[in-house]
Amino acid sequence: MPDEYDYFPVEGFDEIVRHHGDASFGWKMIAQTAASQGVENCKVSCHLVPCHFTNLLPSFRANQWVLTLFLAKESLPELHLPVNSRLSLAIRCMILMFSVMMAGTLLSHAAYAQRPESVVLAKQKPLIAEYITTANALAASFETSSDTDEGLVEIRNKLIALEEKILASAVEFRPRMNEINSRLDQLGEPPASGTVEEPEAVTAERNFLLAEKAEINQLIGEAESASVRVNNLIEDIGTRRRELFAQALSKRYDINASVLINAASEFGQEVSELWRRVSSWLRFIVRFKLQSVVGATFIALAAAFLLMIGGRKIAASMTANAGDIASPTFLERISVAFWATLLPTLVLGVFAYTTLQLYKDFGLFRDDLGTIIVSIVDVTIVVYLVHRLALLILAPWNPAWRLVKFGNEPSKQLYWLVVATAGITGLDLIMSTVNDVLSSPLNLTVAKTLVATVIVAVLILMIGNAKPTEDADGKRKPWPMPVRYLLYLIGLVPLAASFLGYVGLARFALQQIVVTGAVVVTMYVGFLASREIAAENAFLRTSEGQWLKKRFKYSDTTIDQIGVASGILTNFIVLLIGLPLILLQWGFQWGDIRTWAVKILSGVQVGSITISFFGILSGIAIFIVAFALMRWFQRWLDGTVMARSKMDSGVRNSIRTAIGYVGFVVAALFGVSAAGIELQNLALIAGGLSLGIGFGLQNIVSNFVSGLILLAERPFKAGDWIVAGNVSGFVKKISVRATEIETFQRQTVILPNSELINAAVGNWTHRNRTARIEIAVGVAYGTDARRVRDILMTIATEHPLVLKNPEPAVVFTSFGESSLDFELRIFLLDVFDLNVVQSEIRFSILDAFAAENIEIPFPQRDITIKGGPVVEALDKALPKTRKPPARGRSRRSADE
Amino acid sequence: MKILLTGLTVLALTGGQALAASAVNKDSEVRVLVVTEGSGRTELPIASGETVEFCPNGCFVTLPNGDREALTGSETIEIVGGRARIN
Repeated sequence: MPDEYDYFPVEGFDEIVRHHGDASFGWKMIAQTAASQGVENCKVSCHLVPCHFTNLLPSFRANQWVLTLFLAKESLPELHLPVNSRLSLAIRCMILMFSVMMAGTLLSHAAYAQRPESVVLAKQKPLIAEYITTANALAASFETSSDTDEGLVEIRNKLIALEEKILASAVEFRPRMNEINSRLDQLGEPPASGTVEEPEAVTAERNFLLAEKAEINQLIGEAESASVRVNNLIEDIGTRRRELFAQALSKRYDINASVLINAASEFGQEVSELWRRVSSWLRFIVRFKLQSVVGATFIALAAAFLLMIGGRKIAASMTANAGDIASPTFLERISVAFWATLLPTLVLGVFAYTTLQLYKDFGLFRDDLGTIIVSIVDVTIVVYLVHRLALLILAPWNPAWRLVKFGNEPSKQLYWLVVATAGITGLDLIMSTVNDVLSSPLNLTVAKTLVATVIVAVLILMIGNAKPTEDADGKRKPWPMPVRYLLYLIGLVPLAASFLGYVGLARFALQQIVVTGAVVVTMYVGFLASREIAAENAFLRTSEGQWLKKRFKYSDTTIDQIGVASGILTNFIVLLIGLPLILLQWGFQWGDIRTWAVKILSGVQVGSITISFFGILSGIAIFIVAFALMRWFQRWLDGTVMARSKMDSGVRNSIRTAIGYVGFVVAALFGVSAAGIELQNLALIAGGLSLGIGFGLQNIVSNFVSGLILLAERPFKAGDWIVAGNVSGFVKKISVRATEIETFQRQTVILPNSELINAAVGNWTHRNRTARIEIAVGVAYGTDARRVRDILMTIATEHPLVLKNPEPAVVFTSFGESSLDFELRIFLLDVFDLNVVQSEIRFSILDAFAAENIEIPFPQRDITIKGGPVVEALDKALPKTRKPPARGRSRRSADE
Repeated sequence: MKILLTGLTVLALTGGQALAASAVNKDSEVRVLVVTEGSGRTELPIASGETVEFCPNGCFVTLPNGDREALTGSETIEIVGGRARIN
């Protein structure tokens, strides 16, 4: 093998030439060489695999590719890959460098086994070891500091972050594993003993890859065990926190006078301690950080100013004409309330947190005071939100904008009570933070909580005792009984608990009540809003409804329906936001809620079928989109293509209808498969249906098939005049089950298609509209029959709508009882002129016969009466003036 | 109407996205994945042709050929010939 060559044999392939770097260069090099040497039948195929030689060739980057060229055997004896003079110096250098490296490598196959670890292994191995150490450390700190909830929460948060890191680290192995697996696939299984041995290079590479794979699997296994351990710890912490919580709630403090007296003196000490800290902090700030404070305050104020201006502008645009409306509708009130609550709170929140962040960034906070300040900011924002909410729902000073039907005085009273409740609860929270930071004595904490609880409980009792509504006479009425008693209960239970010494329970209950109450009230307003949106024609009156009407030209009914849908959607959104908030407030973890939501949305297993909310939704959405597309295609084909091709309207109708049904079926299939329902399952249903068809559905199926035949065969089309059994009229619409026919009396008859297929159907307008009509006429005996024929012929030929060819004919049909009967047969170009022509010809016949004195006779009878008394009786009965009827002139009366 | 259609298309495209990892067994026999999610380890048998969704929050999984993989919860696993391909 010449030195310049850089290929070596591999089992399964004739020769392999490897080349690092530009793939197209290597390929071209082989192809050019083969061509220049006149090699025929040289099959050069390229195969790119990720670089496994990165570790061997440190000068190459990790993401470089190896070009492997498989050459057919017959081309190799002749093919030489020389470093010839035609190749540029750079190329020669490259090939030379590669050859040297490759040769060096090939000389010691053992090098495969001694190769350094892959990059990912080298990087992740110490990381995973570090994570395991961290997990152990956290487990140890859990054992030691499992007495405080704050400590446990901190460890838990660290564990959650650690778990994410472990998983991320294990995920990092995936690309390398994929590489190894695909390379192992290329190398194939080791040859069985007794067969041709494979080159050592291949064996060595395979062994190396397998070893690396085993190591990766082992590391992922370690990561998995660490993850399990971390999750177990998280669960243990959850259990421990629940135990602590239960202890805190069930812990009883002895409440007596000494507690309160001690607390009073300790309160004084605490205030002075707080003041000492605050003043020392302020001194520090003034001496060393004055510039930063001025700077940070200036930036925060500037941000606040901008936000205020922007917020006000937005608020003003949202509530532009709010002031002008004397009696706003509920929807107007609620939308103004929404924006007027949200925007100022948002502005305040952004301002407060920007300021906090800036102060933190400038290093102005001390840890202890910083915590207190953050809690003050949090509480302020929540209390402000409650205040805005109460102001807008109760509107104490603006009855027209009140969202609830309360009286003026009760609204004011309730507003103050609600704001006071929120304020006191917030104050209690701030005080608790202060207690924690200053490590206050237990007496003080208990006494403070007791005072706050009693005040809030009394406030809630006062809310329960309020008489918010007014009857027609202006007399105030209390809350409905369930609400009143619920409020009493909510106030009394914490009150009793705190006096019995269960201060922790009382405080927990009150906090939950205040926050949950705020969420529930907000949700209630949301539900009210949705009810108002969905009310009849309410949406039509809103600006959004008017915009939809103007923009999309929707009808009032459509907009009303959109209103109903918006109402349902609002309910859904309120539940979606409100429920998780309440659950979170009551101690459920975000992760749990998310998992439930995912379970509900992504599928509920019923037997072997998974019903997925998202699947169904996306199925419906895809069906609607596909159906709309098909409809659009149908309209486009009908209106653009078929209309221009001057196609017969019947064919057009058939094609349009057929496309409509095909479109529906295709859209339904798309929808069904997008919903995750296997089409195989539908086959089962179809099997069941076929049994049903055998029994009960055969009529419907027969009509359906008949409909398809009608569309394909087209014995009549829309607009044709058909006669089917007793029904005669115009075809209006051919559907798949039935055909709609409008009779001349404008009655719509729905005729099942099977009747149109199974029975004879007359079509006046099938191939053309030509029709023959007959007009029968009788003349008196004694009239000149030939003269009659001539008159009739003249009348027929002179009528403009009667066809000359085929020419009209007069047929002497019979000798009737009273007349000579003729029939005038004429052809019309358009059958729809039938009635007009018949009528006009009859007029003409009457006129012509009158002019010619031709008589149209009545039916006549000769009556022979036998016996005298009867004749005499008749003579007496008949009036004297009446003459006996002349022969052939009189109509026979019924009583004769 | 256009907005409605666009909205529905977006819904269809996003709604169709799985909220969990999914595994489809293209073999003719039952394959079993061993899934470690949270602190629990469960065996997840997948019938031939069946697609299952699991692991919404990330998990470790041992594939039928013994390889271990960590999943973030958005992957699709295809089992062909007892081996798994992860996309």
